[in-house]
Amino acid sequence: MALKQISSNKCFGGLQKVFEHDSVELNCKMKFAVYLPPKAETGKCPALYWLSGLTCTEQNFISKSGYHQAASEHGLVVIAPDTSPRGCNIKGEDESWDFGTGAGFYVDATEDPWKTNYRMYSYVTEELPQLINANFPVDPQRTSIFGHSMGGHGALICALKNPGKYKSVSAFAPICNPVLCPWGKKAFSGYLGTDQSKWKAYDATHLVKSYPGSQLDILIDQGKDDQFLLDGQLLPDNFIAACTEKKIPVVFRLQEGYDHSYYFIATFITDHIRHHAKYLNA
Amino acid sequence: MEEESGEELGLDRSTPKDFHFYHMDLYDSEDRPQLFPEENPRMRKEVVQAETANESTGAGDGKAQSDLREEVEELVHLYGLEDDHELGDEFVDENMPKMGVSEYPPYGMKRRDPAREQRDWRLSGEAAEAEDLGFGGWGSAGQCQDLREVYRYTHGRASEEYECYVIPEEEDEEEAADVFCVTCKTPIRAFQKVFDEHKEHEVIPLSEALESAKDEIHKNMYKLEKQIIDMENFANHLEEVFITVEENFGKQEQNFESHYNEILETLAQKYEEKIQALGEKKKERLEALYGQLVSCGENLDTCKELMETIEEMCHEEKVDFIKVSVFYTNRLGKFLKTKTDVEISQLMDSINTIPAPSAPVINPQAPNSATGSSVRVCWSLYSDDTVESYQLSYRPVQDSSPGKDQAEFTVTIKETYCSVTDLVPNTQYEFWVTAHNRAGPSPSSERAVYVTAPSPPIIKTKEIRSCEEAVLICWESGNLNPVDSYTVELTQAESPEASGVTESVVGIPTCESLVQLQPGQSYIIYVRALNMGGPSVRSEPATVHTIGSYFRLNKDTCHPWLAISQDGLTIIRSERSTPRREPPPSDTRFTRCVAVMGNLIPVRGHHYWEVEVNEHLDYTVGVAFEDVPKQEDLGANCLSWCMRHTFASSRHKYEFLHNRTTPDIRITVPPKKIGILLDYENSKLSFFNVDLSQHLYTFSCQLHKFVHPCFSLEKPGCLKIHNGISMPKHVTFY
Repeated sequence: MALKQISSNKCFGGLQKVFEHDSVELNCKMKFAVYLPPKAETGKCPALYWLSGLTCTEQNFISKSGYHQAASEHGLVVIAPDTSPRGCNIKGEDESWDFGTGAGFYVDATEDPWKTNYRMYSYVTEELPQLINANFPVDPQRTSIFGHSMGGHGALICALKNPGKYKSVSAFAPICNPVLCPWGKKAFSGYLGTDQSKWKAYDATHLVKSYPGSQLDILIDQGKDDQFLLDGQLLPDNFIAACTEKKIPVVFRLQEGYDHSYYFIATFITDHIRHHAKYLNA
Repeated sequence: MEEESGEELGLDRSTPKDFHFYHMDLYDSEDRPQLFPEENPRMRKEVVQAETANESTGAGDGKAQSDLREEVEELVHLYGLEDDHELGDEFVDENMPKMGVSEYPPYGMKRRDPAREQRDWRLSGEAAEAEDLGFGGWGSAGQCQDLREVYRYTHGRASEEYECYVIPEEEDEEEAADVFCVTCKTPIRAFQKVFDEHKEHEVIPLSEALESAKDEIHKNMYKLEKQIIDMENFANHLEEVFITVEENFGKQEQNFESHYNEILETLAQKYEEKIQALGEKKKERLEALYGQLVSCGENLDTCKELMETIEEMCHEEKVDFIKVSVFYTNRLGKFLKTKTDVEISQLMDSINTIPAPSAPVINPQAPNSATGSSVRVCWSLYSDDTVESYQLSYRPVQDSSPGKDQAEFTVTIKETYCSVTDLVPNTQYEFWVTAHNRAGPSPSSERAVYVTAPSPPIIKTKEIRSCEEAVLICWESGNLNPVDSYTVELTQAESPEASGVTESVVGIPTCESLVQLQPGQSYIIYVRALNMGGPSVRSEPATVHTIGSYFRLNKDTCHPWLAISQDGLTIIRSERSTPRREPPPSDTRFTRCVAVMGNLIPVRGHHYWEVEVNEHLDYTVGVAFEDVPKQEDLGANCLSWCMRHTFASSRHKYEFLHNRTTPDIRITVPPKKIGILLDYENSKLSFFNVDLSQHLYTFSCQLHKFVHPCFSLEKPGCLKIHNGISMPKHVTFY
């Protein structure tokens, strides 16, 4: 597929670019952001995928999180796709901010009218990596994934559903147990129908319980003053309990005073990038 | 001038030659006009002469004499006029003999050297200047003046200046005075009496006036004469005094000179005598030696002759030889035994007038010349004495109690050095040496203190602390008394056989040293003690590996309920059925908190160690400053940072404590081995799950001083420390 460069800006010695392409999975044009560190000029670098949360595009992360310095230092290529297919003209896609446009939930929808376009899970785990591997100086063997909120949920499930594919995973205020929270219920019922067994396939807490795979090291930061936490949308305790049970190593940090915003992300993004670099650069 | 005056005086003595000047003929009328203009110069000349005469005579009466002459001359001039010719003649005639009488006899001036005259003149000059010599009376100038004034008018001419003589007019007969005005004191003509001027004046006849004037003159002259005589006497006296003084001083000078000469002569004499004596002695000795030499030579010749004779004998027939040889051998024997021996020994004795040697000079101890049990003592001779042997004595230097006398040792040596062994290390010994020869022993040298090298120190291997960049070693001195310093020697222990480069750290004042090292190496370390005598032998070695950080637990900080294993790396809190009493508060030892601290090397940089824990164990691990309050829990203050695990109700609780606060952290997999990274440079303290390479938490801590690892057990159990391990890679990201 042809990549069309939309923008390119030098940042911390590297280049922050935005590309557009025609996505096969999503049947529409999709944009994604790519940061190429200085090291990418001379060799292949590991790839770190960022999945944004509800209502975000490929722009939010690259402009608000302040991740470039850490990425540049650790020499990581950071890819940030959009959160859902755009311009598909599906009825009801713009009705709410937590379902449809900007709320792909990183699932492959099985219900109409979503199933044609809303295949974010495959896009993120298959199509996009292939595209990146083909067009950018990345090492396909060294990949990690992280995200925020809905993207956190996305990162967790991608990692849990693909043992060994990702060297490490981390999340900011992830939706840990979507089958039990309002957002999840809404989205899953919309995209996946009413069969809750299908839902579990995209629920991190459930996935952990039957995770057979290689050791994962999960870092989760959660703002203590996050409204959505208080609203019960995120349910990290469930996830932790499950991980404790299954002896999946998780370090869950409840950060005093922080909320759900990108300010919170910006504060701890360096820690997360270091967390991944430890595994990607090992 | 002097001569002139001298001549003058000589003339004076002999004949009144001066009167040639005053010869009447000079004042004849025909000469007069010439005289007068010349008079003044002549007058002056005479005055000058008179003055010179004055100088030479040194008598004020010379002056008087000149004045007198002057006076007389004036008078002569006055009366040498043809007008008053008879007067002048009379006057002069009268005066002449008088003057002849008065002037010259008093001059008893003896002829003296001009030098003496000079002296006299000087004296006289002084004398002359003194007014109180009564020469004031000889202000005869004044008197002269009076007289002149008196007689000026005899000529009938007034004159302003008395020096400038009135020139009487020769043929002024019509104006000649015939009466004398007493009032005006001028001779006037008779008819002048009539005139108004002299109308009232008393007038007497001229002859009367003359008579009275003459009388006055005579009187004055008589006075003058007396004064002259007095003056002359005085002058004579002075002269005598001068002469006496001269004589006295002259005598004293002579005496002194002769004295001085005598002394010189005596000294010279003594010198001569002594030199001579020495010379004779020398001569005697030389002659004696020469005599001996000669006799030696004669003996030598005799010997040679004998030898030749014997040789001849040898070459003769053997039989004859044997016959003769015995005889000659005996003869030889006798000869050798008697004469020569005596002479030689006499010679030897005469040579043996050598004195006993002077005291040797013992050298101070050469640095680094001693060992732990021996010193090398050296000395030298002060002069060119003959020495056969030396005696070296020594004993240990005693500090205080003189009661306990230390044994003294003595060694006899031929050389000027000696290695004395069997000594005690790090001890001072006093050495002194005497030189000996045939004549006897020398006085003993000064006492020099030598010190033996110290015993080697003992490294406290159990207390070695190291990290990747340095090692802190401490040791025991190994000596009872203090030493000067210590030296640490280290070599890299790559190849055990080859010694490689040895690095030394010198001048260490205390029993510990922090040495910089290369990371990832093994070193063998020795320590030596040093004092004035030199270095000790090497201590037993200690091995250091600069891998990771190596420390031991500090027993001094250990809470009484904790036990530390032999290797210093395991902490055990044993089960106790009955609770024990809490110990009293302490600054070094943990009291409330059942904890212990390690001794981490005080070097900034990275330090990493690991602690083996039990899942069900309640423990706290971290770091703390040395002065952390020992009564508080670890992490309860701002002087400690630690991770605490509490296991209760099957739940693991993890806290990362500093100043009683902890972030909210959940850890799903309890670590079995905790890795702790202390990063001074980045001010961080990180905890890891070693088995999972999982990062748990990082403190940002202000580490203004050095911290030590700390461990506590809230429940019975044990913690095992692993250190001396290099940092795992995953840790390096932090």
